Amino acid sequence: MSAALVERPPAVGPVLRGRVAARRAVIRWGWRLLRREWRQQLLILALVVVAVAATVVGATVATNSPAPAGAGFGTAQDRVDLPGGDPRLSTVVSNVEQRFGRADVIENETLPIPGSVDTFELRAQDPHGAFGGSMLSLVRGRYPSGAHQTALSSALASSFGAGVGSTVHEGGRNLTVTGIVEDPQSLLDKFALVAPGQVPAPTTVTVLFDAGGRSTAGLGAKVLPRSQAIPSNAFNPETISLAGLTIGMILIALVAVGGFTVLAQRRLRSLGMLASLGATDRQVGLVVRANGLAVGVVGSLVGAVAGILLWLAYRPRLESSSHHRIAPFALPWLVVALAVVLAVVAAYVAARRPARAVTRIPVVAALSGRPPAPRAVRRSAVPGIVVLVAAFLVLGWSGSQAGQGNGNSGAPQLVIGLVLLIPGVVLLSPFLLSAAARLGRSAPLTVRLALRDLARYRARAGSALSAISIGVLIAVIIAIVAAARYGNVLDYAGPNLASDQLVLHSDVQNGPPGTVAAPAQIASESHAATALGGALGARHVVELDSVDVGVDHSGGGRTFNGQIYAATPQLLAAFGIPASAVHADADILTSRPGFSGVSGLALEWCKVPMTAGKGTPGPGGGVVFDSTCPSSGRLAHPVVQELGALPTGVSAPNFVITEHAIRTLGLRTSPTDWLVETTSPITASQVRTAQQAAAAAGMSAESKNDAPSSAEVENWATVFGIALALAILAMSVGLIRSETARDLRTLTATGAGAFSRRALTAATAGALGFLGALLGTVAGYVGVVGWIRSNALEGGIAPLGHVPVPDLLFVLVGMPLVAVLAGFLLGGREPKAMAHQPIE
Amino acid sequence: MSFLELRHVTKVYGDGSSEVRALDDVSLGVDRGGLVAVMGPSGSGKSTLLTIAGSLEEPSGGEVVIDGHSLSEMSHNDKARLRRRTIGYVFQDFNLLPGLTAAENVSLPLELDGTGARRARTAALEALERLGLVERAGHFPDQLSGGERQRVAIARAVVGERRLLLADEPSGALDSANSEAVMRMILAACKTGVAAMVVTHDAQLAAWADRVVFLRDGTVVDQTVPPPSAEALISSGPKP
Repeated sequence: MSAALVERPPAVGPVLRGRVAARRAVIRWGWRLLRREWRQQLLILALVVVAVAATVVGATVATNSPAPAGAGFGTAQDRVDLPGGDPRLSTVVSNVEQRFGRADVIENETLPIPGSVDTFELRAQDPHGAFGGSMLSLVRGRYPSGAHQTALSSALASSFGAGVGSTVHEGGRNLTVTGIVEDPQSLLDKFALVAPGQVPAPTTVTVLFDAGGRSTAGLGAKVLPRSQAIPSNAFNPETISLAGLTIGMILIALVAVGGFTVLAQRRLRSLGMLASLGATDRQVGLVVRANGLAVGVVGSLVGAVAGILLWLAYRPRLESSSHHRIAPFALPWLVVALAVVLAVVAAYVAARRPARAVTRIPVVAALSGRPPAPRAVRRSAVPGIVVLVAAFLVLGWSGSQAGQGNGNSGAPQLVIGLVLLIPGVVLLSPFLLSAAARLGRSAPLTVRLALRDLARYRARAGSALSAISIGVLIAVIIAIVAAARYGNVLDYAGPNLASDQLVLHSDVQNGPPGTVAAPAQIASESHAATALGGALGARHVVELDSVDVGVDHSGGGRTFNGQIYAATPQLLAAFGIPASAVHADADILTSRPGFSGVSGLALEWCKVPMTAGKGTPGPGGGVVFDSTCPSSGRLAHPVVQELGALPTGVSAPNFVITEHAIRTLGLRTSPTDWLVETTSPITASQVRTAQQAAAAAGMSAESKNDAPSSAEVENWATVFGIALALAILAMSVGLIRSETARDLRTLTATGAGAFSRRALTAATAGALGFLGALLGTVAGYVGVVGWIRSNALEGGIAPLGHVPVPDLLFVLVGMPLVAVLAGFLLGGREPKAMAHQPIE
Repeated sequence: MSFLELRHVTKVYGDGSSEVRALDDVSLGVDRGGLVAVMGPSGSGKSTLLTIAGSLEEPSGGEVVIDGHSLSEMSHNDKARLRRRTIGYVFQDFNLLPGLTAAENVSLPLELDGTGARRARTAALEALERLGLVERAGHFPDQLSGGERQRVAIARAVVGERRLLLADEPSGALDSANSEAVMRMILAACKTGVAAMVVTHDAQLAAWADRVVFLRDGTVVDQTVPPPSAEALISSGPKP
């Protein structure tokens, strides 16, 4: 026999080509292994797929949920709004056309729907206009073209009971319905489209045009550029999605480290074989790294496709709930691309550590399939503590910047500080595992063994503990901050109203400081509020009299926030508070918990009535007076009585001045708002009707908003943290136990039964859960204390007195207990027989 | 000078009371085209000797010289290159890489050394053809019989310009017919100038070797004298 001889690659020359050939061979094998053993990598693949898909769907929903930026502009960059009949209109249109070329004129006339308090817009607009075309979409039929034709929005057609081909009577004329239309940017828009020039008395006229960045001065009216209409916010949905994605990928990378390590050990003999054939360390490591890369690429691509498909399936529901049309592929592509890239990077980085580790194993040991016993390394807590201290100091810097109130939010320092918490946790995790093993020296056998295994196999256990801790850290920070923020009774925060409440605000509140409603206006608004309450079937409509008084707080921190009303007998009766329940000396009644304990309070008011001066006409028939106060009064340490019966909503009368105080201090009151309380929750349709009726009366209606309560924020954060930690635990415990499978087999061989195996898994899960909860909570408090201690706006660490005890108990006790229980229930499987297994 | 030389090689595992002396002052050489069989009971140090000779393990003492180059003077990557280019290793349990076909397994050392995939495959097919396995070239290891797998492993060990073949119980997992075939192939390789060292329990297979070395407790306790070469016979012919 003779060996086949091949020509070797030249020593000098195409060395690079040789390297590429070698890499290609190794990667090909890695890819084949991935295809053969994809089930073993399902966990990491699933993680990557879910993370990328969730990011794609989440970011797309978040960016498309708000009304489209620049709604009302169509494709125009500039617009001018004029009242109907404004003599400047023709000049403005002529100027725009002369200077910028084209202009689209849209005329709107607000008209009542016959037999309803509801209104609609009679709109004259060219459906093929240069800029307004995108604000119209034909659902069916055709656009109106003649003088007696109209196309209705679906909602209006329903109100009229009309369809294509029927006739509606409007403004003394009969209009034939030629089609059903919609405004894709606002599906709630109720309007009847007519041909340009067919609105006899427009209420408003909009001129759309594109100045192309050139000056619009001298057009004859105020121009609103699109850029000014779009709110700029550094924390937009894309940024938030990317921040969430980054943290998610860090967690995935930490979990994946364990997965790839176990995978590398499963392939240890193959990798040893490769080394025995002459593969360099780099080439052996490349197999593991290529595997990580392949998992990242496959997972991220599948995740991106799954996310896009999920989005396409969900899009119609989002259109319906957000009331505007959304293009099928209106995805935040930058976020999608970054999600794919970050997923690949996370998987690759996660595979690097096991790749390095596997090259350190001697070839003979690798060939025998026996990884060397982990070295007893004593981990120091110092590096982790140093990084946490650095995070504490940087967050303190951020807090001091944010607390100055000079517009500097300290956001960069905040981000750096929060990011520093992560390596702090990662560095402390191995130490904590070692410490737990030392502490558990006298624990029962299974617990002792579990703790020792966690400490011995720190590569997996350490990264799993870090991932759990980071999940808990996020949840704990949210819970602590929410408890601190919502616990501030001065700068009161939370939901504005209950679902059965509605507040009607007088238009005078929209005027400049010093605006006072005229008596006739108050009577008119009161009448409208009563009528609306009747239409809604209200239990009662309570007039809310604003008191001309302010609350001063000298104790530092946040200042008082909220509307101050008078505790009129009507208001107290509406909430079932008898006059006898009010202390005779009480100045303030409030439902804000703990307000009576706030020190350094004072009431301040102006002794001279504003109405003593000469006023000028204000909005809604009100009068504007000079609001400068020549002589003010002050009552230090007012008597505060907490009354739980008062409503707690931010916009509800949660802080009222007693009649006794009003009388003795000579305070002035005036009706500004009306609280409507109904017998059942107010529906969205009722809210819309109320808003239109309020607008018709020169008022505005405020209903329950989506702001969450303190408990909601804390509970959701806790649930998120616990779910995340348990998910990581579920993924990690199996990996960690698989590494000690040999010990488990030995235990079984020496007579350990299912109970021992269950106890071992339960102890592993419980220990990881508890240590993760502990480390995450401590790191969370380090971060929050660091930020808040130097924040003058928050008044130091005092707000941290509001500890979310139930949530912390759930995290520190509940989560480990669930982990123990789940580990015990799922950990009784008999280990596979140990046998010498060849590579094939 | 021998192609493979082990000079006073010692291997010690552990330390203190747990110290195990796997090899103790072992010296032997394998010439080009020579076949040396190493025999001994379990734990005698046979496999350790082979792994040290194949640069898979470092000796605790002594020196290993291959083709005039001392392994102790080589870097980690130099040794890897030596294994790619010079040393072929055959294991008892074949150790073919799953996921790669027979041809890909054989061409792997060449590709690792930078040979293009096409040329490496051509060489692999030639090697397989010589071993009568070319029609099984596209099969994966788990689709081959034990004998076929070992033939693929031998093809992988000899492909390219390998000049040292190390086989650790190459017939341990095979029946007698296949075992003999394997030894025949190793001998055929030796006839092309390859130096070979085979660890075996089987005295019948060891009989194929030019020389048999007996190990016990890490030391060479006996060895058969190599038959004199033709040149030696001529030079030591009848004296005048």
